[in-house]
Amino acid sequence: MLELKRTLDAKGHGVLEMPSGTGKTISLLSLIVAYQRAFPLEVTKLIYCSRTVPEIEKVVEELRKLMEFYTKETGESNNFLALALSSRKNLCIHPEVSSLRFGKEVDGKCHSLTASYVRAQHHSNPNLPVCRFYEEFDSVGRQVPLPAGIYNLDDLKAFGRRKGWCPYYLARYSILHANIVVYSYHYLLDPKIADLVSKELAKKSVVVFDEAHNIDNVCIDSMSVNITRRTLDRCQTNVDTLQNTIHKIKETDAAKLREEYRRLVEGLKEANVARETDIYLANPVLPDEILQEAVPGSIRTAEHFVGFMRRFLEYLKSRLRVQHVVQESAPQFLKDIFEKVCIDRKPLRFCAERLQSLLRTLEIADIADFSAVTLISNFATLVSTYSQGFTIIIEPFEDRTPTIANPVLHFSCMDPSIAIKPVFQRFQSVVITSGTLSPLDIYPRILDFRPVTMASFTMTLARTCLCPLIVGRGNDQVALSSKFETREDFAVIRNYGNLLLEMSAIVPDGIVAFFTSYVYMENIVASWYEQGILENIQRNKLIFIETQDAAETSMALEKYQEACENGRGAILLSVARGKVSEGIDFVHHYGRAVIMFGVPYVYTQSRILKARLEYLRDQFQIRENDFLTFDAMRHAAQCVGRAIRGKTDYGLMIFADKRYARADKRGKLPRWIQEHINDGSLNLTVDEAVQLSKHFLRQMAQPFRQEDQLGLSLLTLEQLESEEMLQKITQIAHQT
Amino acid sequence: MTSLSEEVLLVVKKVRQKKQDGTLYLMAERIAWGPEGKDRFTVSHLYADIRCQKISPDGKAKVQLQLVLHTGESTTFHFANESTALKDREAAKELLQQLLPKFKKKANKELEEKNRMLQEDPVLFQLYKDLVVSQVISAEEFWANRSGGINNTDPSPYNNKQEVGISGAFLADIRPQTDGCNGLRYNLTADIIESIFRTYPAVKQKYSENVPHNLTEKEFWTRFFQSHYFHRDRINTGTQDIFSECAKQDEKGLKTLVTQGVKNPLVDLQSLEDKTLDEGYGICTTQPSTSNANKSVKDSSNSAIIKRFNHHSAMVLAAGSRRGELASDQASETSSTDGNSRDSDFFQPPVKKVKLQEAIEFEDLQRENRPKTVPLNLKKSDRYAHGPVPLQSQQYTTSQDIINSVNYIRHEMASYKPSLTQVLSSTAATSAIAALSPGGVLMQGGAQQAINQMVPTEVQGELKHLYVAAGELLRHFWSCFPVNTLFLEEKLTGHLEEMLQTAYSKFQVWQTRRMMRKT
Repeated sequence: MLELKRTLDAKGHGVLEMPSGTGKTISLLSLIVAYQRAFPLEVTKLIYCSRTVPEIEKVVEELRKLMEFYTKETGESNNFLALALSSRKNLCIHPEVSSLRFGKEVDGKCHSLTASYVRAQHHSNPNLPVCRFYEEFDSVGRQVPLPAGIYNLDDLKAFGRRKGWCPYYLARYSILHANIVVYSYHYLLDPKIADLVSKELAKKSVVVFDEAHNIDNVCIDSMSVNITRRTLDRCQTNVDTLQNTIHKIKETDAAKLREEYRRLVEGLKEANVARETDIYLANPVLPDEILQEAVPGSIRTAEHFVGFMRRFLEYLKSRLRVQHVVQESAPQFLKDIFEKVCIDRKPLRFCAERLQSLLRTLEIADIADFSAVTLISNFATLVSTYSQGFTIIIEPFEDRTPTIANPVLHFSCMDPSIAIKPVFQRFQSVVITSGTLSPLDIYPRILDFRPVTMASFTMTLARTCLCPLIVGRGNDQVALSSKFETREDFAVIRNYGNLLLEMSAIVPDGIVAFFTSYVYMENIVASWYEQGILENIQRNKLIFIETQDAAETSMALEKYQEACENGRGAILLSVARGKVSEGIDFVHHYGRAVIMFGVPYVYTQSRILKARLEYLRDQFQIRENDFLTFDAMRHAAQCVGRAIRGKTDYGLMIFADKRYARADKRGKLPRWIQEHINDGSLNLTVDEAVQLSKHFLRQMAQPFRQEDQLGLSLLTLEQLESEEMLQKITQIAHQT
Repeated sequence: MTSLSEEVLLVVKKVRQKKQDGTLYLMAERIAWGPEGKDRFTVSHLYADIRCQKISPDGKAKVQLQLVLHTGESTTFHFANESTALKDREAAKELLQQLLPKFKKKANKELEEKNRMLQEDPVLFQLYKDLVVSQVISAEEFWANRSGGINNTDPSPYNNKQEVGISGAFLADIRPQTDGCNGLRYNLTADIIESIFRTYPAVKQKYSENVPHNLTEKEFWTRFFQSHYFHRDRINTGTQDIFSECAKQDEKGLKTLVTQGVKNPLVDLQSLEDKTLDEGYGICTTQPSTSNANKSVKDSSNSAIIKRFNHHSAMVLAAGSRRGELASDQASETSSTDGNSRDSDFFQPPVKKVKLQEAIEFEDLQRENRPKTVPLNLKKSDRYAHGPVPLQSQQYTTSQDIINSVNYIRHEMASYKPSLTQVLSSTAATSAIAALSPGGVLMQGGAQQAINQMVPTEVQGELKHLYVAAGELLRHFWSCFPVNTLFLEEKLTGHLEEMLQTAYSKFQVWQTRRMMRKT
């Protein structure tokens, strides 16, 4: 709180690491809300960004509690408006549209019902379907602001149903005057969405990125593009369709095209932007990079633009026909394209914008079909806008299958600071927080900002409820490691199996085991199966395994929880960096032990990664090894941290790799884990680990009551007000 | 005792029982044996009464078959036909093997039910011990009188019993052993078969389809173990395999499970991401699995193993919880599919709300605001409800009276002044205290000692048992009226009287013993 207050006062940025389950969210919320109430002119808005939909909803629920507490204590209801915003898929209440399964379909369908020209046609032809919820919202919804209160996604939907308004557009409209907005961080970081949604948010806002340990990857993902041959083929058909449509329109309604041309000449783009439903596709580059000029003449007419796209497409096709790997920078690419097909940089920059305008003019309802050509045009705009921080890699085949041609053009962003820079520049305070942000100093470096506060907090515990153990050897003294050289070693695999087997016999309820990669897990599972280890494990617990199919994994997860719930106990084999490790918590009995098999290094042979490492070294002076270790350790900590979600929770954390014992690895773990690793548990054998775990579990199984925590990790109101206790707290605070 | 209407399934001649030659008959409902030359059976057992059959080891000279009854008795048959003894025995055994389970279930159920009733009701158990074990009345009679109870009892307590789940490793328990000559031996027990059936209903269906019409049981299991179904890691190609259909069914089951989706939104990975990047954006490095073409055989076999483990665990879990919550589960399942198909919103929020609340609440932060209560622990609830009340002329005090007297006492206390000159002497005071403390003169006569404190508990217990037993007998006695059948009359005049006599004599014995103990 102290650090956070300092950050807010200084109107600067902060990085805070706090163990999960210690009230990170609520302390952030309560302080910022209090700040907002105290200085309503200093901080006008809180933008809280989280990672997944359940997390967003959790934040809103906690906020609701906070507000209820305010009303209870002050006796007056405050007029705070807080709401969650999510994609159309989670907010749509149109009976037909919301029954679609995929987000993209929902978006496309919604667009086909609400686009301005569709609605205009509806006036002349009432049979044409439109979304009645949007119509209702459009006619009356804007006059009356959303009444003050806390709106979760379901509340928004219920409100929308009651009024007959579209909750999605209502929410998007309401975030402009809401006091607190909770949404996914794509809405701020991905320029394609941020431009639509978050453009008009006030500058005097506090932005919180929760669970932000992966934020650099989100930034990079939002600016990178991959182009395969399939994309190009689909793009080809798209372009053909465009051409046909243009021909058709020319015969029937040439005036429309002329009108568009006139608009483009005058740069009258802005007139259209006002209609929110139309801007389905936004510019992929950051707002300050978009040129405020009229579209250049060479692509101004529709036919010329289609011809231009065709030329660009052919060029890309020829590039994909290479036989060897090519890596080049954006300027090199531009030079080459100019030499080969005489495409200039300037029209390329307008590509995305020009396509938007064309699609709108042609009144193409289902834009989802045109994703390929949109992708290409976005690529064109990106590659011509940024000369720094990007690289182009063309791979004719996958490394593992050199005989099968599968050319891919990766246009990858290497500098996460590009996407996040506008956020830091625009908003007065940005707080980055997570349970696992260690080592703290690397984040400001790779995101290129200067924080006023950086702090890592630990937990005050009434009992040591976490037990990190580093298992470095098997019972036969074979060193355990997922190192590439020993990866296929049977002795290692067998010892890993033994570890899991022994643990399954002593740990109650749920065990989660993480592997370094999916392929590695498949191999180990197969060889455990052959050696009969899995069958022995089955005697103790049921086994569930993460697959690459999300639906299947969800089912396995639910069954896993069911098995933990009914006392049978289960093991979940999962993958670090997988979806399970990122979004699912294993509270209490769902995860009494987490085993991390190996160090989850990223696949280092990938050319994209190599390019990024090189860039980091040149630009930020971060050594490759440092970054790789940092990346591996943050994922390991993330996996292991899934098990502890609070002070009453307890769990074993087993790091099964001897490399964890080294100081450079260990030092990169979060402080709240690090301080519980004692020197004795640095290089255990499986047997020793089992002994320690038994002891730990037996201790933890004792009843743990509120009284035990009082005065230590839990304070009553009286204790909080007593002078003595306050001194003690400040003392602890000073130590940290 | 012969009833010709019975269907005789198998006749084996030259079977000896108790050193007597005779013929063994296996009929639809019972097994019987008659000595040679006589047309009546001296041995006859209903299949339902038989617990199990045992056979002599192959190497032994005597080829025997033993039937063990539920009562514990056993009957041994010796197959004496030299040339075909073994074959005869096998035939009888095979037939019995098929017949017994059918009846076993029925018998078992009844037995289990009786057993359960006895275990759950200590009074009944004692009664059973008093009446049946000490042979006052026979077991049948005892249960006959109760049978109304058996059938009428609410099934709910029965459901409270926990089903025993299936071990996750039951397939692992069937360790194949090499038998020395290039073959494998699998040991199957009834439990394992039961487990397989419960976990894989598809196999059970196959079993009931094929055994015994197309295959013998042994063949069936042999094929099962040979099948690709069992060894799922090999890619199945054979279509002649009868289990390939099972595999398909399983796959379908898995798919429906997957498409059904998950009820807990917190674990639904598909809706976790708020905004998935469009195809083509992001650095999705490599997706080897998406292209099926370049997938090696090993890879797909590995993923088959993974799939199989997931499926297996799910099935085991489902089998464990299937019976207990069959009704409720089905109800929820149908509702969930309904909910999913139309508008999932109406169905989802409660689950979601609960889960969200669970996720954000910490138990240890909740204030315990209610005072701690001591749960009322009643050993014998009937005594609590209506205990013996001594007859008294009851005087009621109204609340007004109480209030008045309280006021009065308060008034007295307020205006109380000790008059220290008129106190008792110390000796008188101590003697008064002594007289008033427990054991003193005044405390003896006044307080009536409860009868249950005077009599030692074991005597009480015995008396109670005798009382209950006598009550039960009287119940039998009264249930015979009106006497409208011969059997009842016989029961009344004959052995009921006898029974009452026995009971009475038992009481007598107890009385004298008590007297003896007392003196």
